[in-house]
Amino acid sequence: MPWAETIVDTLKKWDTSLIAYVPDISIDRVTSIIDADPFFHLVSCTREEEAVGVAVGSYAVGRNAAVFMQSSGFGNSINGIASLCLPSRTPIPIFMNLRGQVGEFNIAQVAMGRNTKPILDLFGIAHYTIESEDRMDTLLDGVMKLCHAHRNPVAICMTPMLHGGKIA
Amino acid sequence: MLRFDATQLVLRHAGDSPIVGNLGPTSDELYHAGHRDRNFYTYGNMGLCSSIALGMALSTDDKVISLDGDGSLLMNLGTIATIGREMPENLVVLVWDNEMWGQTGGQSSHTATGTNLEDVAKSCGISKTTTVDDLETLEEAFGRAMNEPGPWFIVAKIEEAAEYMPVAPVEPEFTLYRFRNTYIE
Repeated sequence: MPWAETIVDTLKKWDTSLIAYVPDISIDRVTSIIDADPFFHLVSCTREEEAVGVAVGSYAVGRNAAVFMQSSGFGNSINGIASLCLPSRTPIPIFMNLRGQVGEFNIAQVAMGRNTKPILDLFGIAHYTIESEDRMDTLLDGVMKLCHAHRNPVAICMTPMLHGGKIA
Repeated sequence: MLRFDATQLVLRHAGDSPIVGNLGPTSDELYHAGHRDRNFYTYGNMGLCSSIALGMALSTDDKVISLDGDGSLLMNLGTIATIGREMPENLVVLVWDNEMWGQTGGQSSHTATGTNLEDVAKSCGISKTTTVDDLETLEEAFGRAMNEPGPWFIVAKIEEAAEYMPVAPVEPEFTLYRFRNTYIE
């Protein structure tokens, strides 16, 4: 199954229907499917930290939520993750396009992109990098299970090897 | 108008509605005015109070009340635009506006120097707005907000009390767990 459809199917299986996001061209394929599917409510946010807050609010009233962003926006979301998600223990899966990888054309994207996973490690946030559709459904299902068992955010980092990257 | 008196007023009209409290004295005073399972106290994440309330309002039919602050909301003005885009009828944003950053030494905030948060909300498409500066007008506005479709955006000009109340003895993890259990049980 194509990667975007696999993500959508996994979100449905885990009854995760509120998606808060900041648009990104490389993962627009999946957020466009979500936007067109009445199962989901896609909330367009002005900033990634705001998306984290919206997702936590949804979870607090019993509706599972996920966040979509790109790695540069992960930098914008850190305070929300560190001072809200972690201390209150909220299982929010964070799907992000990982910039600064092979094929990156923009110098400004490299530092945040390449430091995203080390920063996740510093916070003890589990993260998984997806570069291929092979067994992606099994991996994503397991990531969601871990996320809810641990009641902590997890990051799913998608690279250009998976989605083809940004076209200049 | 003291924030604590205004918070007691809100609790009298809130019924079972969830209330999200901004970090610091707003959450502490909410706790002391009337601790309840549907109080969602925040401890950090400055600026996200109304974003959390927005996420709640999009996922429950209950009226959801955000007790935000001027300094905090200035940190995340974009969320007013998102509220204006989503237009949840069940969201009531109440901004305690003391025109200062009270917790960091009382430095004047931008609402003291010309920023009008009610006008910001209006320009984001939110039409149910008002600014109040005493308990009587707050009660009238908040009563309407609880009974008429929103989203509502109420700026309440408040004064800081001479002394802060004790920090609310609550833990973030337990706050979320207790709050969420009122929805999933």
